[in-house]
Amino acid sequence: MRGLLASFCACLLVLGLGLAALFHATEGGTAYTTETLRRSAVARAPVAVPNFLVVDATGQQQPLRQLLQQDQRVWIVDFVYTRCVTLCLALGTIFQQLQQQIVDQGLQQQVGLLSISFDPESDRPPALADYAKRMRMQEGVWRLVSLQQPADRRRLLDSFGIMVVPAPLGEFEHNAALHLVTADGQLVQILDLAAGEQALKAAAALAALSAP
Amino acid sequence: MIKALAAVLTLAALLLSLPPGRALIEQSMVWHMLVQMPLLVLAGFCASMAWPRVLGSGLRNGLGSGLSRFNRYGLTGFMLAQCITAYWMIPAMVDRAVVLPSADAFKLLGLWLSGVALRQSFLQAPLAVQLFFVGYGLPMMAWLGFYMANTNLRLCNAYSLESQLRAGQGLVLLAIALGLVWAASVREQLLPAARSTLGQQ
Repeated sequence: MRGLLASFCACLLVLGLGLAALFHATEGGTAYTTETLRRSAVARAPVAVPNFLVVDATGQQQPLRQLLQQDQRVWIVDFVYTRCVTLCLALGTIFQQLQQQIVDQGLQQQVGLLSISFDPESDRPPALADYAKRMRMQEGVWRLVSLQQPADRRRLLDSFGIMVVPAPLGEFEHNAALHLVTADGQLVQILDLAAGEQALKAAAALAALSAP
Repeated sequence: MIKALAAVLTLAALLLSLPPGRALIEQSMVWHMLVQMPLLVLAGFCASMAWPRVLGSGLRNGLGSGLSRFNRYGLTGFMLAQCITAYWMIPAMVDRAVVLPSADAFKLLGLWLSGVALRQSFLQAPLAVQLFFVGYGLPMMAWLGFYMANTNLRLCNAYSLESQLRAGQGLVLLAIALGLVWAASVREQLLPAARSTLGQQ
């Protein structure tokens, strides 16, 4: 009988430790994927965007922070690569719709769209120009940039928590989402791709907050 | 023989966490969840058979027999294995093991130990207790596999949806296979009892 009691206590101890570990790992049972954890971490504490040199379709170079800051807009940021023919076409469509909504609602002064390429080696200015044309990007609403130094790619993706993995047919897969970045370079919120309207509202609200 | 097997299985599982083998588990969820993880559990299971004095309860006065006092009916060992395997089935933790070497080391140790614990518990547990844990653990694995194979949501940022789909199907098959292995072992466990009953008649 005493032996059974020892086993029973040991079993409860293991169960308690096990549950504590599971509770800790899933933030109290609320997050089972890295993506959920990433979003809640950003919601708790904004992340400063790194200040790498970026280049646009015209070949103009500038630091990312400067680009974010220049019109005092709140940005909705996504990550793309222009060779993409499948997954990020959907992302492109979402951004096209957002672009239309921004124009319709006259939010050009408050909210901007920014696509950043994570394939800096092949996405040089001509490729960017081609993509911008295909996507019918409107200057002043939607900007597209690539990294000037391909070596910065890893740190840029890490700072946003983006993981890019190779997919069949030479494509990439990545955790695509809508990232809200303020003019002072803080990543403050990450939303689902499907939550375009919500992202736009949140961005407009943030812009109103920071307006002088 | 069993010592060599335990050593080879452990080594094989370890090599998958070190370059160049690591590329396999970084690129494929199947290699990670269906080759390396089961290999670790199996290696621990075999190690417990191979070194009963340290990792088993076979001999008196060994560490194993000391620990087995806390594992009556195999309860504690099953609970430990259940917690460890559940932990490493959380998609976010699978990602962590790919990205963070420290998490990966934790995974290697934990799953190997869960194999040791499983072997010990199966030795000491009556069929009813075995059924309880097997009947909980395997459906959990199959359910996760089924979900992974049928959702359009990428659960792991480290793996493509394609890889997740195949790993999901594999998890379902693995759960079924393990269930069959256990069922076969039940037959073995029941045979001596049946024989003795027959002998008495």
